Amino acid sequence: MKVLDRKKMIWVNGALLILLALSVIACALLGPVRLDLARAWQNIFAANPDAEILFRARLPRVLLGVAIGGGMAACGVVLQALLGNPLACPQMLGVSGGASLGGILGLIFFPHWLLPIAGGLLGEISWVPLAAFLGALLSMIFVYRFSLFHGRLHPYHLLLSGVIFNAFIAAVIMFLNSIVDFYQAQGLLFWLMGSLSTRAYLTVAFIWAYIIIGFLWLWAKGLSLNLITVGEEAAMQLGVETAALQRQIFVASSLMIGAMVSVSGMIGFVGLMVPHVMRLIVGGDHRLLLPASFLAGGIFLCWADTLARVLLAPAELPVGIVTAFFGGPFFLYLLYREGGKKPAL
Amino acid sequence: MSYRPKILAAPLFVVSLIVLATHASFVQAASAPYPRRIVSLAPSVTETLFTLGFGNRIVGVTTYCDYPAEARKLPKIGGFTNPSLEAIVGQRPDLVIGVNESSHPVKVREMERLGIKVALISVTSLNDILNSIQSIARWLGNPEAGEKLAQKIARQIDAVKKRVAPAPRRATLLAVGIKPLVAVGGKNFIDELITLAGGENIAGQAAQPWLNLPDEYVIAKAPRVIIEAGMGAEREQSAKRWQDLKSIPAVQEQRVYYYRSDKILRPGPRIGEGLEEIARLVHPECFAESQRGLNPGSGCEGPRP
Amino acid sequence: MNPSILIRNLSFAYQDRSVLHGVSLSVEKGEMAGILGPNGSGKTTFIKILSAVLSGQGEVTLNGRSIETYGRGELSRLIAVVPQESRLNFPYTAAEIVLMGRAGHHGPFALEGKKDLEIARASMESTDSLSFSDRYLHELSGGEKQRVLIARALAQEPEILLLDEPSAFLDLKHQLHVFELLRRLNRERGLTIVAALHDLNLAALFFPRLVMLREGKIYRDGPPQDVLTEKTIDEVYGIRVRVERDPSGEKPQLFICPSL
Repeated sequence: MKVLDRKKMIWVNGALLILLALSVIACALLGPVRLDLARAWQNIFAANPDAEILFRARLPRVLLGVAIGGGMAACGVVLQALLGNPLACPQMLGVSGGASLGGILGLIFFPHWLLPIAGGLLGEISWVPLAAFLGALLSMIFVYRFSLFHGRLHPYHLLLSGVIFNAFIAAVIMFLNSIVDFYQAQGLLFWLMGSLSTRAYLTVAFIWAYIIIGFLWLWAKGLSLNLITVGEEAAMQLGVETAALQRQIFVASSLMIGAMVSVSGMIGFVGLMVPHVMRLIVGGDHRLLLPASFLAGGIFLCWADTLARVLLAPAELPVGIVTAFFGGPFFLYLLYREGGKKPAL
Repeated sequence: MSYRPKILAAPLFVVSLIVLATHASFVQAASAPYPRRIVSLAPSVTETLFTLGFGNRIVGVTTYCDYPAEARKLPKIGGFTNPSLEAIVGQRPDLVIGVNESSHPVKVREMERLGIKVALISVTSLNDILNSIQSIARWLGNPEAGEKLAQKIARQIDAVKKRVAPAPRRATLLAVGIKPLVAVGGKNFIDELITLAGGENIAGQAAQPWLNLPDEYVIAKAPRVIIEAGMGAEREQSAKRWQDLKSIPAVQEQRVYYYRSDKILRPGPRIGEGLEEIARLVHPECFAESQRGLNPGSGCEGPRP
Repeated sequence: MNPSILIRNLSFAYQDRSVLHGVSLSVEKGEMAGILGPNGSGKTTFIKILSAVLSGQGEVTLNGRSIETYGRGELSRLIAVVPQESRLNFPYTAAEIVLMGRAGHHGPFALEGKKDLEIARASMESTDSLSFSDRYLHELSGGEKQRVLIARALAQEPEILLLDEPSAFLDLKHQLHVFELLRRLNRERGLTIVAALHDLNLAALFFPRLVMLREGKIYRDGPPQDVLTEKTIDEVYGIRVRVERDPSGEKPQLFICPSL
């Protein structure tokens, strides 16, 4: 009987962790611009262009990519379990749409407002990502309200509400797109296709803390996620408080997705592809699938961002386009494989 | 004699025919007029029309046409990328003038199918802009005005060229978008302006006219001047935003400027003025007024690029 | 007498359609009872209420405590359910499915230990499903799947086993196998078994007590020879049968008399 044991957990996660560390280092060293590593290290704190490229321009975005890739993948895993649908992805909840809309409205109406943190000691942040997060919260409440029946979040209703809500938000965004001027349109593209461009370590640290906490919380629910994927009734009969679990997962993943989209725009396909691939490699047990997907998602987005910087140098592609480029063919591959021996779905 | 009236009638008939024919062609010549009802599909076209003195013939402008002030009061026919066909038709224009690079070919065909005359100008290069000004003037029946305006702009450009000639080129970043960072690329008139202003556009070799630039690229190219124009730029924030990248010469020398004007972003009659304003930012030492008390041009020939 | 299951005046309605009306019965520890009735008589609903998937009006008491006082984890260690079918969208092996039955025992944060593995293995052995433990559930036949689900229920180490039409997709050999297994579990481990059944003859052979439901009410409750009479079948199912005795002479067996 082949089952999940401690050894497998350690080996798989260990290997992925090492791969992640290597990817971070590699992606920080790669880019459209040649980096002189020796010079970078010589004078880290002086006005050293190589050091600045490495530590101020590249490293923050690589680290952000790891957090967001991991967060999106983890949310993808739990949403597929929650909705009972292997084709579910973070976009389906409607939260990312709401966040994008909030960010776009902020960009159009108050792009220059700033909020001082800790009385200005820790600097200021723009109101735009805050508006995005607010949009995420409102969407979450809206979709939740429309999916709650008799105290239970029915996967069917969740899916439906999320999809309809997303369609509506997309229409609003397209409308805004048609009335903004050329320069605002560029900003819109950021929200719709995502970008990991950042130099603020504070933001990166904040997102990291947020996502790690969220991920650990979700990981603890791993066993319950296994049970819920064999059927809501079966899960109840096996001891899971399904109603509470559904609510908790919905809220936790919505909050995570909302934060991620607020910071980096909508980066799609990570939450859909990575769980699938990892399921093929490590199996469907969520206690391993979650951490494995988290790490793999980080690796994937880290490299996707590097490609985004390098493919059309000196121009930078929105990273969501790179992930989508992998997403389309991947989908076709999935469909093709469906008749294969090892189940992909 | 009963034949007399008939003999008189024939030449009378011929004469009246001739008079009628010449009168008709006379009337026709007078009614093959230059367009009197013009719709402009771009702010630069609107500015050009006003500067050439044809402001009173404009019957429709886009919602972005804000210069000169009179343009704001004109009837609107929609946006820059999505003008309303109905609004245009409703104004019964004799001529619609649009810009090649941003006009929707489908919309243009539709207008032509409805019998509306559409003319498109090209504004990719500076030369194109000058030519288009002259074309517009010709279409509207006053080619001399067009030549004069083109020459005036050409003189403005030449004056700036001469001013900055002694100075070595300065690596320059002209950003038209902040989050994300969108820089002016190559193969467009703004890039030419940067070059004429004595700058070296760090993204100038790109094939696209606009592009997202990653921060590392800016650091590597070490611009000596950073100009933030367009949306998202704000006076107080321009310098602050780049503060942490001290290796960039523009940051070290505090040459991060905020320039919020459409003069260099619109391919219209004010590009000459815009060029000078930009040149003052790129090479302030070459403009006497900015050199309190020094001789004009003395600081211009600097040893460092 | 402390009955394992005590139900008093249970009613349940799906929106405006009433499914169970004032059902009262009690099941002693170690009893084996079969619930019979045509489709729509409330058999499946009854099983769901007993396992707290649905909640109706009336009293449901388990081991002296109201069912509402039980947490789901605690309940899963007391009652195990074998559903009629299992539709999976995700790939799990048979072994993984069976091990899910141990969830209530080792808690959410631990991986399965040796004891869990042993119990799972034993459960699969007793349902003759160990040979395909590493194959994916959706690759198995209906009967094989059913045996895995029974093994999962056994892995929960319950006191009470509920089954919803357990022989629905099985061939004759495995139908017998399942019923013999149930009898063995009942005799050797003292498992209380309540099963919703549709095969009246097999029910009569293996279950010492039958509860016949009709339109949401209990029509008859007692040993097979009392419940399976020609009159009862005619009134509840609306078909004519002839009742004879099985070879041993004790249990009634039905012979269907078609009208054509």
